Amino acid sequence: MARMNEDAQWIVLMGFIVSFSFFFLAMILNQATVVGQTTAESVLDFPKNDVRDVKAVIIQSSSVPTDADFRTDLQSIALSRKNAVVNYSVTLPNPPADIHTYINIHYNNGVTLYDEMWASL
Amino acid sequence: MSGKQDLTRESGISESIGFLLIFSIIIAGIGLVTLYGYPMLLKQQTSADEQIMEKNMIVLQNDVKSLAYKTVPYTETSLKVGGGALTIYNASYDDTTTSSFTISDDGGAVTTGPPLPQTFHTGDLRYQSNAAETMISLENGAVVLRKVAQPGSTMLAEPRWFVDDTTNTAVIYLINFNSTEMLARSGVGTVQMAFVAGNYTEYNIPAGDKIYVHYAPNANADYSTAWSNYFTNTLKMTEVVGNPGVYLVPTHTSIPALLVVKQYEIEIQSL
Repeated sequence: MARMNEDAQWIVLMGFIVSFSFFFLAMILNQATVVGQTTAESVLDFPKNDVRDVKAVIIQSSSVPTDADFRTDLQSIALSRKNAVVNYSVTLPNPPADIHTYINIHYNNGVTLYDEMWASL
Repeated sequence: MSGKQDLTRESGISESIGFLLIFSIIIAGIGLVTLYGYPMLLKQQTSADEQIMEKNMIVLQNDVKSLAYKTVPYTETSLKVGGGALTIYNASYDDTTTSSFTISDDGGAVTTGPPLPQTFHTGDLRYQSNAAETMISLENGAVVLRKVAQPGSTMLAEPRWFVDDTTNTAVIYLINFNSTEMLARSGVGTVQMAFVAGNYTEYNIPAGDKIYVHYAPNANADYSTAWSNYFTNTLKMTEVVGNPGVYLVPTHTSIPALLVVKQYEIEIQSL
């Protein structure tokens, strides 16, 4: 009886390797399909520019702090355009004791709640 | 020589019994795979399809957010709807069966804006699985899910209603869907959505007056548990005693409050 020729065993081994790699690829693909949104969306949601815009306008207007029309206009525009509730209060300088203007800014758009106290130099 | 003799003793071997043994093992193997393996695979596929659809709905909700809150005019998302169908249920299709939100106050005291109570029909973008197990809807900016045979429901992604404590302001967003024709999709498709119209109403609520929200579910897709949980847990609303489904908006009633209702109409152009 002739000895068994085992030279081609690597073919069987390669077959195993290929099929296992397919199996793992399938597992990875299966994971990939269930991945949806990333946290990048949430980072983009942070309204940095909106807050800055509102803040700039409020600081510019601190010379007319008692103008009720300006306040309601600002609040209405922030609500309709930026979907944000904005409120602020201005403390004017009291020269001998304190030469600074203080502004408390409140900003809330349901996702981001932001409060800031701004003081003039 | 004696070894050779041993090898030839085959009196205990029967070809037919051997065949029968091997054959029954094969049949048992096939039977196991058919009766247990295949249904298990199918079930896994169904749940994978539903999970993918949950993610798809959250992606679509992001589109709706862009359209409503970020003033983007038009969005387009390609997605694969597997193991079921995605259908648009128009807000204007049938007022008696679509879900609705009603905003009301104690009555008569609000002088600004259109008179309260106001009822808004939202319509929804609904996925129903073929196995009739799961229903996922994009309704009024929220993604809600329910198992068809069970009474409960849950909210996967919340809308953006909020009450600002500092200024005593309640902001309510109402987003409805419309389409010019009946649309449904199974398989790969593109969801095209366009922003049609927005409406913005401010109500000055005098001190002592209370604001209420009522959710009336669609009889075929009842997500009242999901909305109830959102109202009571996230927004800290309280259900009115003796009036199920009506929730009190938690503004301070000792001082005047502001109620802002923002409506958005979104047209689904294709699915």
